[in-house]
Amino acid sequence: MASVVEIHRVSKTFGTFAALGPVDLEIRAGEIFALLGPNGAGKTTLISIVAGLLRATTGTVRVLGKDVVRDYRDTRRAIGLVPQEINFDPFFSVEEALRFQAGYFGVRLAEERLLELLTALDLLDKRHTGSRALSGGMKRRLLIGKALVHEPKVLFLDEPTAGVDVELRRSLWSYVRTLRDRGTTIVLTTHYLEEAEELADRIGVIDRGRLLVVEEKEALLRRHGAKLLRLVLSGPVAALPPELVRLGARLDEGGGAIVVEATGDATFGAVLAAAAAAGLPPKDVETRRTTLEDVFVQLLAEGHAPAGAGAAARAAAGGPGAGGRP
Amino acid sequence: MISLGLRTLLSKEVRRFLRVPGQTLLSPLVTTTLYFVVFGYSLGARLREIEGIPYAKFIVPGLVTLGVVTNSYLNSASSLFVMKLQGTVVDLLVSPLSYGEILAGFLGAAALRGLLVGSIMWLVAGAFGGFTLAHPLLAVALLALVAVAFAALGLMTAIWASSFEQVNFFPTFFITPLTFLGGVFYSISMLPPALRRLTLLNPVFYMVDGVRFGLLGISDASPWAGPTLVAGLAAIAVGSAYAMLRSGYRLRG
Ligand SMILES: Nc1ncnc2c1ncn2[C@@H]1O[C@H](COP(=O)(O)OP(=O)(O)OP(=O)(O)O)[C@@H](O)[C@H]1O
Ligand SMILES: [Mg+2]
Repeated sequence: MASVVEIHRVSKTFGTFAALGPVDLEIRAGEIFALLGPNGAGKTTLISIVAGLLRATTGTVRVLGKDVVRDYRDTRRAIGLVPQEINFDPFFSVEEALRFQAGYFGVRLAEERLLELLTALDLLDKRHTGSRALSGGMKRRLLIGKALVHEPKVLFLDEPTAGVDVELRRSLWSYVRTLRDRGTTIVLTTHYLEEAEELADRIGVIDRGRLLVVEEKEALLRRHGAKLLRLVLSGPVAALPPELVRLGARLDEGGGAIVVEATGDATFGAVLAAAAAAGLPPKDVETRRTTLEDVFVQLLAEGHAPAGAGAAARAAAGGPGAGGRP
Repeated sequence: MISLGLRTLLSKEVRRFLRVPGQTLLSPLVTTTLYFVVFGYSLGARLREIEGIPYAKFIVPGLVTLGVVTNSYLNSASSLFVMKLQGTVVDLLVSPLSYGEILAGFLGAAALRGLLVGSIMWLVAGAFGGFTLAHPLLAVALLALVAVAFAALGLMTAIWASSFEQVNFFPTFFITPLTFLGGVFYSISMLPPALRRLTLLNPVFYMVDGVRFGLLGISDASPWAGPTLVAGLAAIAVGSAYAMLRSGYRLRG
């Protein structure tokens, strides 16, 4: 598949603070790419560099083969950006905001297209409403509309569903899929890992300005164990017996639970046996499919750990299931 | 051909100030009227004519210049600064508008507001003291250059500023004092020599003087001094604003 965005050795330094990189990343035509990472990881910084909101300190970015600095007019025409920060101009209505944004891109917004956008974003009855009078979620939807007026080839969604209600989130998801099916390439960041799991074809995990992983979502989930076994203990323990550590188990909930991920049930049997043998009979046993959130937390824990201390760091970071949203 | 992008930005900027006419057009009108009532009538009655021109007329060019300067500056400064605060500047920064188009959009709308205010003031003044228009083309061209120069200054200030206080810094500490001391209310021939020499260092003096030549046909300095200086300053201001936009300074991290 052809690359739509090519990010090459891009870094960004604010003053003396190295916020990003150097990062290499390619976004493929027609995919939905989810960029995940904790607060301050550098997601917005990276997206802003591609969209032209920030200048990279080093490196180059090409969009559809054009350089984002030298050929900025071409690359910006190809890009739509929904910024993370909600912005609105209280002087103007929803319709005016959309028409102005289209005009900046040299596009005359046809009535048909306007209605299509308003319908997709559920803003039809707010067409003439002043931007100030929109609710927070509506303002965010207006931002999405503004990013779409010129029918961009690549759409960047920086936390598009923050503050959007559940029902609308699902309808936005289906709209994002529709856009993808029409050929739009989509890059999104989100702290709702369920959203990334639902939508993404590929996942990138970024932390402290470094890309830890870029992988197909399915492969990532498979590689990190399709299932998760959790043994709730009757009391907390300080450390795991070596036998259990060898099987890939780790402590969770401050020692009150043992967690292990595996693809097969063989491991689970061995873990149960080893726990019983070590005098740690479980009070309760749960199994469930590993979620992206589990994988994400684990990747971050590994990313923070010094080389070779993976398991210990994982345990220290709480392991899968322990941390809420990243 | 003006691109659709630039036309959109221009029309958005113009509509922005037209949405609040009370603040952008009416309030200068009230201020001017007050100036004419206070200076033109109450004081003017006691003051002799200056260079054969009744005092109420003599102060018109300076007040019009002050209106043009302040409103052009404030329009581009506050518009861009508010966009920075609101985050809506992103809408422009992600668009394919060229630097020249962004510059032209802001300066065009700001200059238009400045000239509108200037025209309103001139009309009000005329209603009080009668209309005189010695060299209309020169007056309009000069005021347009003044408007563009101060619009560019406003734009640069907005790019640089991080608070409203900084936006108001120039008008409060430079523009208003330099204008008032630039011969709005008196001819420099009435000044003691030391003050006269100081006034000759004030660029706004040449603007007021040039506009006075355009409107009333009289001037203290050479009538060419104003246009030449203003053209130079406008070119420098516009060039610097363009370079600043292009550099991405403060707008693109
Ligand atoms: N304009 C700036 N000046 C200085 N530092 C900045 C600036 N913008 C971002 N940073 C810093 O760069 C780092 C990355 O910020 P960025 O906004 O890219 O994070 P993020 O991954 O988008 O986080 P979040 O999930 O909270 O949105 C942070 O440490 C942030 O404080
Ligand atoms: Mg962010």
